[in-house]
Amino acid sequence: MNSKSVNNKWSWLLLMLSAVALLAFGSTRTSDPQTQADRIDAITKVLACPTCQGESVYVSRASAAESIRAEVARQIAGGQRSDDEIIGYIEARFGSRVLLVPRSTGLDSLIWVLPVFALVCAVGTLGFAFRRWKVVGNDSISEEDAQLVERALREEQ
Amino acid sequence: MSETGSSRKRVAPIIASVVGALLVGFLWVLVTAKPNTADDADSPLLGQPAPSVVTTTLNEEDFVLARRKGSWVIFNFFNSTCVPCVAEHAELVAFNERESTAANPAELYTVINDDNDDSVRAFFSKNGGEWQKIRDTDGAISVAFGVAKVPETWVIDPNGYVRLRIAGQLTPGLLDDQLALLKKQFGS
Repeated sequence: MNSKSVNNKWSWLLLMLSAVALLAFGSTRTSDPQTQADRIDAITKVLACPTCQGESVYVSRASAAESIRAEVARQIAGGQRSDDEIIGYIEARFGSRVLLVPRSTGLDSLIWVLPVFALVCAVGTLGFAFRRWKVVGNDSISEEDAQLVERALREEQ
Repeated sequence: MSETGSSRKRVAPIIASVVGALLVGFLWVLVTAKPNTADDADSPLLGQPAPSVVTTTLNEEDFVLARRKGSWVIFNFFNSTCVPCVAEHAELVAFNERESTAANPAELYTVINDDNDDSVRAFFSKNGGEWQKIRDTDGAISVAFGVAKVPETWVIDPNGYVRLRIAGQLTPGLLDDQLALLKKQFGS
C-alpha cells in the first residue's frame, strides 16, 4: 500500500515535470515565418488598423491599413529591420494603440501577470478551503447522530 | 468548531475591508483618470526630427524635406473626396495669402493622401491654392507621420523638428495663431 502510494506520487511528479517541460519548449521555440509574405502577414496581424474598430491591418481594407501594410512590405523588402523593429517603427508613429498584442514590458506587463496571479490565488484559496472541509468532514460523529443511526437500525430490525 | 467560527469572524471583516479598499481604489483611478487624447493632437513625433520625406510634386519636381531647412514647413494631408478637407480649403488659401506677405513665410505643402493626380489637379484648379502638392506613393509619408485620417496639418520648424500636429478640420485663424506662438517659442 505504502509503496503503491509512493509510486503514485512519482508518476504524478513525472507527469507534471513533462507538462512543464513541454510548455516551456512550446513557448520558447522559435517558429519564425520563412518567406517575406509570411513575415508581412505575421506583422500585420498584430497591428491594429488605426481608423477601424477592432480590426487588424491584415484584415482591414481601409486606406490607413493599406498604407501600413505597404510600409511593412517595404521595410521587409529593405531587409534592414527585424519584425520587432518594424512593429516598433509603426508604434513610434501611431502610438501604442496600434498594438493588438500588449507589450510584455513596463506597466503593460500587468496584463499578462495579473491573470496568472489571480489564477494562482484562486487555486490556492480553493485548495485551502477543500483541505479545511476535509478536516471538518473527518471529525468523529456526534453522540446524537450515533444514537439516531442506532435507533434507526434497531427499528429496521 | 467554535474556535474556527470565532477566527472566521475575525478574518472576514479584514478580507472584506481589503476587497472594499481595492474596489474604492479602482473607482478612484477611473474617476480621476485623464481622458485619452491620442485622437486629438498628440503624437510621439512632437519635438522629434521630422521623418525623411523624399518624393515628387504634381509638377514633376523633386521634393526633399531636408532641403527645406531654414523655413517653417507646413504639411497638409489631403484627399479631394474628404469632406473636412474641402471645408478647410478656403482657410488654407487665406492662410497662404497672409503668409506670402510675412517676413519669413512658412512653406505650405499639400500631401496627397490616397488620391489620384487628376482629381487633385481638378480640385485645385477649381478651388485655388498655388502652393506645391506632393505625392505620397503607397502612403509612406502618412505612415511616417502616423496620419490615419485626413485632414491633418503638421508644422515643422526651420531646424527640421516636428512642432505641431492638428488633427481634423482647421478652424478659422487656428493655424495662424499656432504658428505665431511657435515662432515666438522656437524663433522664426
